[in-house]
Amino acid sequence: MEVHAERDGGALIAQAAGRIDGSNAREFESALRATLSKQDSALILDMQSLSYISSAGLRVILMVAKMLQRRGGKFMVCSLSESIDEVFEISGFNRIIPTHATRSEALAALGE
Amino acid sequence: MSRKLSLEIDPRVEELSAITAAVEQFGDAEKWPPDMVFQINLVIEELGLNIMTHGKSEDLEKIEITLTAEGESLTIEIVDNGHPFDPTREAPEPDLDVGLRERAIGGLGIHIVRNLVDNLRYRRQGGRNHVTLVKERVR
Repeated sequence: MEVHAERDGGALIAQAAGRIDGSNAREFESALRATLSKQDSALILDMQSLSYISSAGLRVILMVAKMLQRRGGKFMVCSLSESIDEVFEISGFNRIIPTHATRSEALAALGE
Repeated sequence: MSRKLSLEIDPRVEELSAITAAVEQFGDAEKWPPDMVFQINLVIEELGLNIMTHGKSEDLEKIEITLTAEGESLTIEIVDNGHPFDPTREAPEPDLDVGLRERAIGGLGIHIVRNLVDNLRYRRQGGRNHVTLVKERVR
């Protein structure tokens, strides 16, 4: 699992790659927190290169989504594989976290 | 004819990667689509982690996982000697209808399992938990 961060306009984009499971979900959490500064008010989690995620990783995503909400920021995810999209739906995450097909769609939604 | 994969792991999260590799190899031989490999790894991880966290007892030594492929269905049996835990009854369903602020953190693992398999059974026998899942092939 790797997290690569970059900025585009006012948004921080974190690209997660590889697998997020019970053995490395804490690393994923630390990596996300380390990329996010206090000034960041918008975070897009790009899952283009993510091949697997279990409930341990979903837990981290939910925590980060709640944290952004508390500080009045925005959080969204993009580029989910079919398998991950299904898990998002089963978990009801698609109802509480804005989900976009591509990064550019997510960025466009942020600008609205 | 049925094909089998038998695995035995220590109850430690680090052991999950060994399962993943073995399931991927078995799935390749069975010509499973990628979504099927993903889902099988996911249900095994969720049930395995559940045993390691909630079912943990001093007696818990090994977790045995057996996959049996026959025709279009796959049966997975997970056996452990931890505390009795019935995933068909004991894990409460998460409330998915609340907003982000009210949404509880955690409690998703067994919910995901219930939604990804076609049949989930539990029995306690000889001081061990036996969880049996049946999954019809994903196309």
